[in-house]
Amino acid sequence: MTKGNTSSASKRPALICALELPAFFLLLLNPLLHADPSRPTLPPEDRTNGKHTLAAIENLKPHTVGCAARVESLLGRTIGTATIVGNDGYVLMKASEVPDLEKTRIKFSDGRKADLREVHREPRLDLVLAQAVGITGLHPASLEAAARTLPLGQWLCSVAHAGTETRLGIVSARTRRIRGEGAAMGIRMEEKPAKAGKGVRIVGVASDSPAEAAGLKEGDVLLSIAGENASDFQRVHDIIKQRQPGETLELRIQREKQEETCRVRLASRTKVLDNWNGEDFANGGVSLRNDNFPEVLQHDIPLLPTDMGGPVATLEGKIVGINIARVDRVTTFALPVEVFWPETQQWIHADRHPPKAVLAK
Amino acid sequence: MFPLGTFPACKAATMIVAAGLFASTLAAADAPPATLTDIATLQHIQQEVQQLLPRVRQAVVAIQAGNGTASGVIISADGLVLTAAHVPDKPGRDLKVVLEDGSVTTAKSLGLDKTTDAALARLKDRGKPWPFVNLSREVTKAQPGEWCFALGHPGGFDKARGPVLRVGKIIKQTANGLHSDCVLMGGDSGGPLFNFNGEVIGIHSQIWEGRDQNVHVSMAPFLRSWDAMQKSQVIKTWGVGAGGYLGVATVMSDDLEVAVADVIEGSPALKAGIRTGDVILSVNGDPMTDQQQFSATVRARAAGDQLKLKLRTQGKEHEISVKLAQKPQDEGQ
Repeated sequence: MTKGNTSSASKRPALICALELPAFFLLLLNPLLHADPSRPTLPPEDRTNGKHTLAAIENLKPHTVGCAARVESLLGRTIGTATIVGNDGYVLMKASEVPDLEKTRIKFSDGRKADLREVHREPRLDLVLAQAVGITGLHPASLEAAARTLPLGQWLCSVAHAGTETRLGIVSARTRRIRGEGAAMGIRMEEKPAKAGKGVRIVGVASDSPAEAAGLKEGDVLLSIAGENASDFQRVHDIIKQRQPGETLELRIQREKQEETCRVRLASRTKVLDNWNGEDFANGGVSLRNDNFPEVLQHDIPLLPTDMGGPVATLEGKIVGINIARVDRVTTFALPVEVFWPETQQWIHADRHPPKAVLAK
Repeated sequence: MFPLGTFPACKAATMIVAAGLFASTLAAADAPPATLTDIATLQHIQQEVQQLLPRVRQAVVAIQAGNGTASGVIISADGLVLTAAHVPDKPGRDLKVVLEDGSVTTAKSLGLDKTTDAALARLKDRGKPWPFVNLSREVTKAQPGEWCFALGHPGGFDKARGPVLRVGKIIKQTANGLHSDCVLMGGDSGGPLFNFNGEVIGIHSQIWEGRDQNVHVSMAPFLRSWDAMQKSQVIKTWGVGAGGYLGVATVMSDDLEVAVADVIEGSPALKAGIRTGDVILSVNGDPMTDQQQFSATVRARAAGDQLKLKLRTQGKEHEISVKLAQKPQDEGQ
């Protein structure tokens, strides 16, 4: 349809279209993306993660929401999700999101709240096993399923919204190992040392990066990093590279003659560099650590970084993994059950049965 | 940016038309009735996807044009590839193509339609039959609520990962596009959106910020501009007759039926016996409820295609067969 067709004064009628065009027909002339009110649109509740579709998995809630809990800061802010792995309060969480369990509390779906005691931290898997202090009678996740053999297209559901709701998605790519590229802060540094050979000047800060989150600005001079004087940009680079995503570094910086201290939580290098210009459409952000896992199950369930640590189940209600990283708009990684559960059982056993003192002969 | 899922304020004229159509079975501004999904439906979807996947994924390729990485899909044994126009950006460009197994070959971009973001390319190696999928000619069938699935290489080709699958629903059909909730990102551009016959119904084109705002080029511009694209032409505007040419003008009757208002001299419609005043009831068995749907149905067909039209002439229903022609040069524009 062209503009020529819309004129009723033309000698011949336009082909296969109205002689007198209603106003909205003109919208057909617009490029693809223009709103076209004449077109039926699927209401949000009928979409893949709308409530009419999610009705199908309502009965699975005991297997998903029922064995998840909300991890919050002392101020009540949601910082993560936990999967219940023992009726006496044992839970698993994404370790890099909860560096300091003393500053967190756990809230169960029955409303009970508790402090957390750290039992075992496993950086290789980015998991931390903790126990909710003084809590019994929980409904633990059943972790006997096989995840490695799940084919692409297999429906999965997962907890979202601080462990209170469910979301739907599929196994979207092959189960595989994800290599690590180390950590990054998201700064560009001047090669030559700053004034009087003291410190390194920051000449660029990446969007949504740990450096930006910590309040670093272009022009700041980095004086020390992790207790070491920052005399050379290469050395600063090496210090950061040796760390893991999720670790916190203390910096001293100089800004307009004022010296300040700030703390930066490092993130996975790949993601910081990919998003240097803020082109990441992750819809709610990405996890600090999203690589360096021995094996992951990839799915497309729409989740947030704070949903990591929660369980992932099949339509039969079998838990097949724990969400471990929100990577980008289309990718979430889960650790398959086979990868963490044998070890986790050993950590729980060792904690329940500490070595007994033996009388010295 | 417009908020998907809400109806933007529209002109009074539109409202009247929409209200008038509300009574018909498939009214233009009427959302499909809400039904609750059950677990059996989900399991059926899963089964269908898993059945189709091994075959269709072989036709999905990664495309590297300059520094950029994108996707595409092979649609013929002799290596025609559909992709998005913003991938090659111009005809005659050399593209590096990576197949699912990681093997690398080359292609040349043919024609493209920058208005709709549709483009065609051809694999240079003609020595062996390529794995391919069919495209759907039933453009209007992709209605809101239909399940669909997307494949592509988000973030670039990764052999260990393979192409990434997403299952979702059609949210909206526009003149040249489809919106779905199959979530896309950079690198997916040019990749295929499939229906549950394993046919390509869309080519990933753009995303907006919302998770449900994923836009695919529909097959309409490809079918309409097929010959021009094969000849490596850049299509900047598209005319009504760029697809198959029937040669009728329609109007909505008082009974809200698609009626013939005029028949063009020398057109296939005239030769087939279509006359002014006829009511068009169905095309190839699909009931016709509004002009937009009828014109999209005709335009989605290529010249030479046969259409079966069910008409009502002076109260009598009858079927005719008509072969679409090339659009005459002096027509329209």
